[in-house]
Amino acid sequence: MKEFRNMAFPYVIWIAVMIVAPMLLILLYAFTTAGNDVTTFHFTLENFTRFFSDMVFLEVLRRSLFIAIITTVICIVLGYPIAYIIANSQIKHQVRLILMITIPTWINMLVRTYAWMGILQDNGLVNQILGFFGIGHVTLLYTDFAVILGMVYNFIPFMILQIHASLTKMDKSYLEAASDLGADKVQSFLKITLPLSLPGVISGITLVFLPAVSSFFIPKLLGGGQYVLIGNVIESQFLTSGDWNFGSAISVIMAIIIMFSMYLTKKVDKDESAKGGDTV
Amino acid sequence: MKQKRIFSKLVLLLTGLFFYLPILYIIVFSFNDGRSLTKFEGFSLRWYDKMFSDSSMMEALGYTILIACIATVVSTIVGTLTAIGLSRSRKIMRSLVMQINDLPVLNPEIVTAIGLLMFFSSLGISKGLGTLILAHIMFCIPYVILSVTPKLRSLDPNLADAALDLGATPFQALMQVIVPQITPGILSGALIAFTMSFDDFIISYFVTGNGISNISIIVYTMSKRINPSINALSTVVILLITIALILINIIPIIQEKKKGRNAK
Amino acid sequence: MKKLIQFKRIVKEFDGKLVLKGIDLDIYENEFVTLLGPSGCGKTTLLRILGGFLTPTEGQVLFDGQDISKIPPYKREVNTVFQKYALFPHMNVYNNIAFGLKIKKEPKDIIEQKVMRMLKLVNLEEYADRAVTEMSGGQQQRVAIARALVNEPSVLLLDEPLGALDLKLRKEMQRELKKIQQEVGITFIYVTHDQEEALTMSDKIVVMKEGEIQQIGSPTDIYNEPVNEYVANFIGESNIIDGIMLKDYQVMFEDKKFDCVDFGFAPNERVDVVIRPEDLDIVPKEQGKLKGIIKSVLFKGVHYEMMVETKVGTSITVKMRVSEDRPVFNEAANEKISANDFYLDVEDVAELDEATIVARADAQAWNPDTDEFISIKEIEYTIKQENGTYPVTFRTAAGTAVTVNMIVKDENRVVNKEYQEEIFAVNFFKKADEIHESIALETDLKTWANASAWSLEDGSPVEITSIHYDFDPETVTTGVYEVTFATEGYEYKVDTTDFHPEGAEVGLTFTPEDIHIMSKEQ
Repeated sequence: MKEFRNMAFPYVIWIAVMIVAPMLLILLYAFTTAGNDVTTFHFTLENFTRFFSDMVFLEVLRRSLFIAIITTVICIVLGYPIAYIIANSQIKHQVRLILMITIPTWINMLVRTYAWMGILQDNGLVNQILGFFGIGHVTLLYTDFAVILGMVYNFIPFMILQIHASLTKMDKSYLEAASDLGADKVQSFLKITLPLSLPGVISGITLVFLPAVSSFFIPKLLGGGQYVLIGNVIESQFLTSGDWNFGSAISVIMAIIIMFSMYLTKKVDKDESAKGGDTV
Repeated sequence: MKQKRIFSKLVLLLTGLFFYLPILYIIVFSFNDGRSLTKFEGFSLRWYDKMFSDSSMMEALGYTILIACIATVVSTIVGTLTAIGLSRSRKIMRSLVMQINDLPVLNPEIVTAIGLLMFFSSLGISKGLGTLILAHIMFCIPYVILSVTPKLRSLDPNLADAALDLGATPFQALMQVIVPQITPGILSGALIAFTMSFDDFIISYFVTGNGISNISIIVYTMSKRINPSINALSTVVILLITIALILINIIPIIQEKKKGRNAK
Repeated sequence: MKKLIQFKRIVKEFDGKLVLKGIDLDIYENEFVTLLGPSGCGKTTLLRILGGFLTPTEGQVLFDGQDISKIPPYKREVNTVFQKYALFPHMNVYNNIAFGLKIKKEPKDIIEQKVMRMLKLVNLEEYADRAVTEMSGGQQQRVAIARALVNEPSVLLLDEPLGALDLKLRKEMQRELKKIQQEVGITFIYVTHDQEEALTMSDKIVVMKEGEIQQIGSPTDIYNEPVNEYVANFIGESNIIDGIMLKDYQVMFEDKKFDCVDFGFAPNERVDVVIRPEDLDIVPKEQGKLKGIIKSVLFKGVHYEMMVETKVGTSITVKMRVSEDRPVFNEAANEKISANDFYLDVEDVAELDEATIVARADAQAWNPDTDEFISIKEIEYTIKQENGTYPVTFRTAAGTAVTVNMIVKDENRVVNKEYQEEIFAVNFFKKADEIHESIALETDLKTWANASAWSLEDGSPVEITSIHYDFDPETVTTGVYEVTFATEGYEYKVDTTDFHPEGAEVGLTFTPEDIHIMSKEQ
């Protein structure tokens, strides 16, 4: 049926212009020096050597990865049990519980992050509660803790939803078969449920790690003006210092790191599933 | 068994509290009489008053709604037509387009943002409302396509042929047979597009210019100082999105009822 | 009668694959034509070309003498009943049927009249307001037919319309479709892979295979005079035997000469001989033209379906040496271990691995008190690709070990030139206990003897269908026993109403008219 085929053509042109061209532009800028015009390009690796030879930038990169990994780990550790509990509750409750997790994600992320500023302030809600229990003032805002909290808060719904989806997709008869074959509850969780829900965890990791490593307004709001992650460096290159070539190079580095970590998680996933067939 | 259930309930309660505490916090403090973000000094509407008289805030609200509406309408139409077209295309074409289509969804938003920023600049397009709308359409269409495609896939491939066979022109077949079948997918695509556009910060922040801001940009630039009008503005935003969500959840129910009545 | 549709050298290519290889076909007015063939034979493609949903790569479709290849579907005077019906789920029965008329903007009252008439034709008067999604498969089927017929097409195309229905409903709808076709008096073109459907309903059957037409004819023609083995097989169960046409009216198969009514073949031409199962009669052994043993009997309701084997397949006999079980007992570790010698084919040495050795030697270790198995951790062996005896030692983690021999011998296989088959098996050693304990002895015997058979033409595996031994597996003791493995021989399917027990020796008889001779396919 060719009747409707042509309807996709305008979008093919659109993506070539609006998606592919900007991506190519980033690559072009990353590998050239400043002050190009349309006819002459000076290709260079200088932008990359500058990043990797500067301890300040390397420290920012290290911290960004650290924060993103911690965030991802916390999201798995907290998100899995929540998803598991939801997946094991009654169907009519499940719909409501999933809605409970989804609704906040529809609300402006910036607004919700901003709200945490008030809660975490020195005389904010958390400290008031702590004070009530006789625990003195704890500085929460503008710390690693605040940044990680903000990231977990914003990104954990994605983890829960992915794991929940993979848990409910699972055929319950596998568990019946496992218990029929003599596995107890812990064994069937470890041997059946966990490996089969791994794909959900993997896509959850993707959905958490990726925005966490590139985030720039969460560190700005909850980490304070001095708190710099890789996203903030890119932001300042484009909006303050105006060094687009260097900024592009940093985003290329970030993209490569993300792709590499995605590749690693996928590989671990595959190895794990391959191992699943092993004897006890 | 009972202990386990209590434990589950407790976990879910804490989860709910964690998710909704900041939202409630904002709403409560938007009615605070004082400036403080930490101490509630009595009920008042003064920050709403202040918000409504703040021209930059009202302008941002207006732009946000305008951009979201345009982006939603355009991306829903283009996305739906594209998805239908792709479902009838050759496999190579389809998978190529779908992969590029996934890029804005999978890429870090900041990468998409700087790409667009440099793209608009190198074409000499001056940043402002136009670039904002183009950018929003660009990142909304993929979500529409992604939510319409599964509905198309579960459709009987012969439905359109059946309509043509009975004498319908391709356009009639599209409007009278295909579109009614995938309406839920189109509606949820439109909803996602609307909220994506309405809530967007990063891409808007990079491609805007000419003093045009949306709500997220205003909140970001104002949050450096304590300004309780932000709470009022945020509450309005929460309210608008909640209304949109309720509408979307209610429309199918109303449609079902109508259908039920027709059947009788 | 008038030629209504003419396909002229229709070729259709999908991504470089030829789906239709030049189809020529004429269809007349008021005919019930069936396109019959397995999935992938191109029958649906041909139908979709006629419906206008596909354009042929080459060739012409003439409708009433005019080329319609370029006309879009919505301007063609044909209507289609689709596979799985393709009813519009968001419309009720009435609106589904009225769809085409509304598109044509016919007046409301006319539409109502026509729809009601159609509902009556398909016996659904009561269901006009029903949602199509709430109807049974059979009812949806009727709606689909009504929806197509209400547009008064001159041809109705039906694409496997009964495929989704259960057997009883299918039979009912077959009768009904034929009735409707006679009543409305238009051409029906019907696509199916079900030969029975084709035989009961059609005026004309077109048998297709891999994009080509094999035979066109009336159901009786096709059934009684299939042009080749493919058609004969497809159009119902047949016995097809290799034979040689000695001269006109005389054919030889199974080394015997038989009279027949066919002629016109070259002297000594190799042919396929077809005998329908219902044409074969079972008679006492002495009176049979062929003699054989009844291998199986299936009760089919009205008749019995029997398989009579007139000649065994390729067979091989090997020796099984049964010995007492004497496992090695390691008292210190409280472990027992046992294994047996085994034979190996020279050709298999190269592909030998530890898992195979364990399986062939049946090596196992266990705790004599609890009977729990203990895994074998170590296998020690050296082997060369030449005849000889090679020791192999199996050892557990606790050091309990047993040593047995691998005996490599030249090939031990039987070639059957007539069937172009080869069968292979080796002598083997076994413990009496293992035979007693086997829960699937025939499968185990095949494994132990490493028995396999394959075609010499293309090397594809041939199933070993018969395993013969003359010991009682329950009570077998030490000694040497013969085991025979065989492939399937010449078998005839016979449909008869008389019962004969399995294993009976019987004769088969038939008349010269029951034999049908076909040329070998190219």
